[in-house]
Amino acid sequence: MTTQDLLVDVLLAVGVAAQLLCSIGVAVMHSVFDRLHYAAAATTVGPFLILAALLIRVGLTTQGLEAIAAIGVLFLANPLVVNATARAARRMDYGGVDALPEEKGS
Amino acid sequence: MTAFMWASFGLIACFVPLVFVLLFGREIDGVVALELCGTLTTLVLICLAQAFGRTAYFTLPVISATTTVVGGLVFARFFGRVL
Repeated sequence: MTTQDLLVDVLLAVGVAAQLLCSIGVAVMHSVFDRLHYAAAATTVGPFLILAALLIRVGLTTQGLEAIAAIGVLFLANPLVVNATARAARRMDYGGVDALPEEKGS
Repeated sequence: MTAFMWASFGLIACFVPLVFVLLFGREIDGVVALELCGTLTTLVLICLAQAFGRTAYFTLPVISATTTVVGGLVFARFFGRVL
């Protein structure tokens, strides 16, 4: 096993562990807003570690560039989805997205 | 069995906690779980494409990522207006 293989294994293991942590977080949290924190985190650390492992293995080939595109779309567009979902949840629970009187600062 | 194949198995295992949210959570909680399922699916497809060594398979994660984002926005819009 070369150093490159070891690095790929470590990056993949940590990336999968990060995704597993996010999945468990979504499952055990109680409110939808807490769950969204973990769902949003799942498009940051884990995918980039897996992408790094892939790029070490294949370099900037067609495979590498397509993986960069896929993970780039997730990383850049997922905040929009999380924001839209949070607004939908807020509208369902509180009837609107405006701050409640007790949430407004003095 | 390559490291990428093992990684894909690990990522598929990540679906298990989300199944419980989809079955027992509220509708909006299911949407959150579904968004994470889309992210995981994209990563599984990347790992499987590398494990099988087929260049053509790398198109699927790009499509999966795009449909995950669009689907999440559609669900959020639907739940925000209807329920």
